[in-house]
Amino acid sequence: MQKPEAIVLCGDGINCDAETSWALNLSGFEPRPMHVSDLLRNATALENAQMLVIPGGFSYGDEIASGKILAIKLKERLREALYNYIEDGKLVLGICNGFQVLVQLGLLPFSGENDPRIVSLVRNTQLKFINRWVRLQVFPDVNSRFFTSLREIELPIRHGEGRLALEALESGSTESTEQTVKRLAPLRYTEDVNGSFDKIAALTNPAGNVLGLMPHPEAFVRWTQNPSWTNRQVAIKRFERANSIAEIPHGLAIFSNAAASLN
Amino acid sequence: MSQMHGTSQTANTPSKPETTLQWCLSVIPKSDYSAFPLYWIRIPERYKNQQEELTSALREVLIDPLQEELWVAKPEERDVWIEQWNSRGFRWWAEKQFLPGVTDNLAHTVQEALELKKFPDVSVSSGAGFIFRDRLMSAEDAANLRKTLTMHKIYSDAEAVEKASRYTIYHPLADLFRVHDLSADCSNELLTFPAVRLPEPPSTVPVNLELDDSGLETLSKDRLLALTLGEMRTIRNYFRQKHVQQFREKRGLPTNPTDVELEILAQTWSEHCKHKIFNATISHVDFSSGGRNKVVVKSLYKTYIQGPTRELMSSRKDLLSVFKDNSGVVKWNDDTAVCFKVETHNSPSALEPYGGALTGILGVNRDILGTGLGAKPIFNTDIFCFAYPSAELPTRPKLLPAKAIMDGVRKGVEDGGNKSGIPTINGAIFFHPGYRAKPLVFCGTGGVLPLDVHGKCGYEKHTQVGDTIVMVGGRVGKDGIHGATFSSESLHEGSPMSAVQIGDPFTQKRVLDFIIEARDLGLITGITDNGAGGLSSSVGEMAQITHGATIELDKIPTKYPGLADWELVVSESQERMTLSTTSLEKLQKLAQKHHVEATAIGTFHNQGFFEVTRGGKPVALLDLEFLHDGLPALELEAEWRPSQITMTSGTVPADLSKYLLRLLAHPNISSREQVIRQYDHEVQGMSVIKPLMGERQQAPCDAAVIIPIYGDTTGLAVSNGLSPRLSFHDAHLMAICAVDEAIRNMVCVGADPDTVTLLDNFCWPDPVHGPKNTQGKLLLAMLVRACQGLADAVRAYKAPLISGKDSMKNDFDDGVVRLSIPPTLLISGMARVPDVSKCVSMDFKQPGDLIYLLKVGKPGLAGSHYEEMLGWQSALIPQVDLPKAAQMYRLFHKAIEKGMINSAHDLSEGGLGVAISECIIGSGKGAKIDLTHIIEIEKKHSEASPFPFSAEKVLSRIDTMLFAEGPARLLVSIDPSQKSEWEQMWKGFDCHEIGTVADKPRLTIWEGEVTVIDVALMDLERSWRTALPFD
Repeated sequence: MQKPEAIVLCGDGINCDAETSWALNLSGFEPRPMHVSDLLRNATALENAQMLVIPGGFSYGDEIASGKILAIKLKERLREALYNYIEDGKLVLGICNGFQVLVQLGLLPFSGENDPRIVSLVRNTQLKFINRWVRLQVFPDVNSRFFTSLREIELPIRHGEGRLALEALESGSTESTEQTVKRLAPLRYTEDVNGSFDKIAALTNPAGNVLGLMPHPEAFVRWTQNPSWTNRQVAIKRFERANSIAEIPHGLAIFSNAAASLN
Repeated sequence: MSQMHGTSQTANTPSKPETTLQWCLSVIPKSDYSAFPLYWIRIPERYKNQQEELTSALREVLIDPLQEELWVAKPEERDVWIEQWNSRGFRWWAEKQFLPGVTDNLAHTVQEALELKKFPDVSVSSGAGFIFRDRLMSAEDAANLRKTLTMHKIYSDAEAVEKASRYTIYHPLADLFRVHDLSADCSNELLTFPAVRLPEPPSTVPVNLELDDSGLETLSKDRLLALTLGEMRTIRNYFRQKHVQQFREKRGLPTNPTDVELEILAQTWSEHCKHKIFNATISHVDFSSGGRNKVVVKSLYKTYIQGPTRELMSSRKDLLSVFKDNSGVVKWNDDTAVCFKVETHNSPSALEPYGGALTGILGVNRDILGTGLGAKPIFNTDIFCFAYPSAELPTRPKLLPAKAIMDGVRKGVEDGGNKSGIPTINGAIFFHPGYRAKPLVFCGTGGVLPLDVHGKCGYEKHTQVGDTIVMVGGRVGKDGIHGATFSSESLHEGSPMSAVQIGDPFTQKRVLDFIIEARDLGLITGITDNGAGGLSSSVGEMAQITHGATIELDKIPTKYPGLADWELVVSESQERMTLSTTSLEKLQKLAQKHHVEATAIGTFHNQGFFEVTRGGKPVALLDLEFLHDGLPALELEAEWRPSQITMTSGTVPADLSKYLLRLLAHPNISSREQVIRQYDHEVQGMSVIKPLMGERQQAPCDAAVIIPIYGDTTGLAVSNGLSPRLSFHDAHLMAICAVDEAIRNMVCVGADPDTVTLLDNFCWPDPVHGPKNTQGKLLLAMLVRACQGLADAVRAYKAPLISGKDSMKNDFDDGVVRLSIPPTLLISGMARVPDVSKCVSMDFKQPGDLIYLLKVGKPGLAGSHYEEMLGWQSALIPQVDLPKAAQMYRLFHKAIEKGMINSAHDLSEGGLGVAISECIIGSGKGAKIDLTHIIEIEKKHSEASPFPFSAEKVLSRIDTMLFAEGPARLLVSIDPSQKSEWEQMWKGFDCHEIGTVADKPRLTIWEGEVTVIDVALMDLERSWRTALPFD
């Protein structure tokens, strides 16, 4: 069976493209790294792809606001193609800086062309960049194609601007912004790590095919990436619990879910 | 910015003097604020009728509509802002703007974004505004003020605002900062768009060298050439030669050297590039044994650095390229090599810490990018030596506050690493008051490169005659010309800053992506970086491959007009690489895709000279042999007298728990978490052993391990070692301890000691004797001894050196005070972990595990943190047994391979007591330690000695046992089931069971019946996590 193709955006300061491609490769995708310039020049490349991944990094050096300028670039030059792509039900995944780009593009949590933008990702309450592993809880009732069968997971966060902040919806809306955003959050931190609204770590669109998340799933595709793997190793050695190795690293599971949803 | 695209015809056209509109913009947060971004922009006349569209584009680019609003004003309209703030009770308004010519990354991004919005050619300058009060308005006000993050204070006068802001919100060498009184009419004093204004550049002129000695010396000093009299004479004599004169006449050059030539020579012959001290002939006199032993060392570098490595090369076939390229290259597998380089950026970091550290890290990244045909950086490692901010430190007008240095350096490395997508996997922060003179900022980077690039060897350069010279990346400005020697006073307002350089990680990331793709497409035949010395250095060095090069100044793209010819050649403007190619067109097309400027600036040839032309005529023409080998060797004197130390000592203090807690809180020992968390140490997805491991993510690991190749199981361990506190006791031992620390750190995590490669970085106070430097001979002798120690360790451990660097003038002297750093040698190491699943972290793993102390030689108190804390001073230095230690590490590796070891940690600062505490903190468990047995062994040795403070007696004391420091000691925990095999294995070594891992989170240590230490984990952790004074 042919592997589904995933375009992995690179260039312009994106810097997690290599490991994201590797993670996609492990999970059954055919990764296709593509420079932003190449995609803008040839938007038809999207037609062959089942998923578009905007990896983490510091696009445009994070100047002004993270993700902002790359979002303007994509909006100016790729707007139509992107909306069509999403409407076709194909997958879009934005990780960390990629999530920020999707928010700046106005694609999350609503991905329709005329939907208002209701969230921002702003500086962590600590006002610092944070790299640490966090526990996350999956909310299975939220419609998403990325978290099937996952409940509690561990992933690293590596960001300075990952705090989700809300703006009030225009009056006349039937539901408050808070409720809307909560309804579309498939993943939350188990403790407050950056001041994010309702400890939200990820947002999806209502259709479940666009996902943005601050933690890095591509950074947990083998067990030896987990900071407590040496403890696990000793425990395995002692109790011969070979079966516990069978648990798939949580980041890899997220990509594999996406791949499975395409078959 | 259309000029960003890589064609040379646009390169040198300065923006035409078009009439422009000027606006000032301010991004105002909707919530309470006290600081906000400011922008000054210049808008071409042609957008006059599109002002509304432009405003809406600016709004889209600059603000988050949910959080902020944009204020737009023409210069004359800014009164409105002033009134606004004034009416809200603010008294002072401060504007911050970059000094002309300082890299403004934010402005570049805004310009590029406006170009996307179809408004090219708008010029932008970014800055910030700050509002302050002179009194509190109300209680509510006071509460708000506490909440705002930057400004807690109220100020009674403008001067106080400036003083409090200096080094906290602005840096005088990089920023213009002006405080306005909002209650007065300040509208005429407001800052406007900062433009670089330069007079017509001076044309190239000949410099008369037919001078007497004092004339030559004055010339060298006035032109900031930093050449000695001997070197000036050598240059003069070269130009006196008949055949040189005839050749120059034929080429239309004056008899005397041109200023361009003199600058090229000064740059090429600088200490920085030619390592004159390490290549000097040194007469070393040793007075240590009462007599007077004289030896002559021809070259420290050849004798002690290169020599031992050459000896090891026959057994180490993996050393592919050592000491010749921008980094040392080691074979990794059949397809790939790894390379590693560590640089220092001390002086720039002393002047402007943020920019200094940022350009330091980006610079060493370029060393990797410029290795072979171009390697890809995969990790950074950064080591900082600071003075701990405290009242006893000397303050001098020209010395930055110690804390400003720390914060700036930390932030610079954060931006340099994180924004480039290169993980900071390992590092160290070391405090000593001696670094008040100059902080040491070591930036290291490792990379991977393919062994085969389109049929060519990837770690060699293949530049050939006829290849085009291409400059890639940033443009040339006055940045870094003559480095730090300029002082701010001598500059006028419109002159571009040359002393301070701010790096641009975003531009460099684009360059990096471009280079790697160009390499893989086979478009590069040779490459090197533009670091110190700029084009003069990069082209001058690459010219040696083909034996000649010519560059054309007219083609070099500049940031602004007005640069003199010599400035173009030696400018150190950042983010630039120099490469050679045979496929210019393809290369430039690729550059366009990456938004990178790639300009053909000349050609490599084989005519034996380095030529620089302007308008087709030569302005410099230097014989390559003279340029690179004409430098006369320095002759220096060293005198070694062992240090005389007045011994002070005391009896064992009563409450050792208290001292353990104090040691854990020592800035050299306490947790680095707050710094580590701000550095991305996982990007690229290769990490195996991270800086902080374990279920609590609190276990400080000894070395980092990454997997350089996706899907592979072979790991690369990276570590560092330094021991400057021993320098004043014995520099020879200091060097050995640095090597040992780097190696034992790697061995602890599972690296194979037979695969170690090392890098040396010497940072020394000026070791050249002179009237102002009376300690010169001793400092040089210490350098000789350190080199000898290094050579001994390299031979014993069979760990070759593959690259290195020296920085030899780490002194501060303002005519009143002379401050020097402690002589410092940093050893960085790299080694192979055959199977990463065997890696070991330092945290205890399970209750019941047996704890062992494994050691070779004896530790000492001299230079230890315990001794410093008690105010003692002893001559009890560690005793090392290098062959035995080398054996121990190899055997230890076998134990790791067998999976016998559950945790391993090296004993370093704070000794055994601190090491055990760290293993407990890392694990959240406890330990019961009984030192009775090992103390008895030491006591047996000491029985013969009648003196109460003899070395043997002191070594058998409980406090020495707990807190002495020294090389070759490891703390290990194993599963009890391994006990007999483990002990069998270590017959013939000092390997002692000292306790067990406990469930109860508590550290208890006994000697006989006495409980000497009894502390709860919580208390250990509270002390250890004492925050360092970083922002």
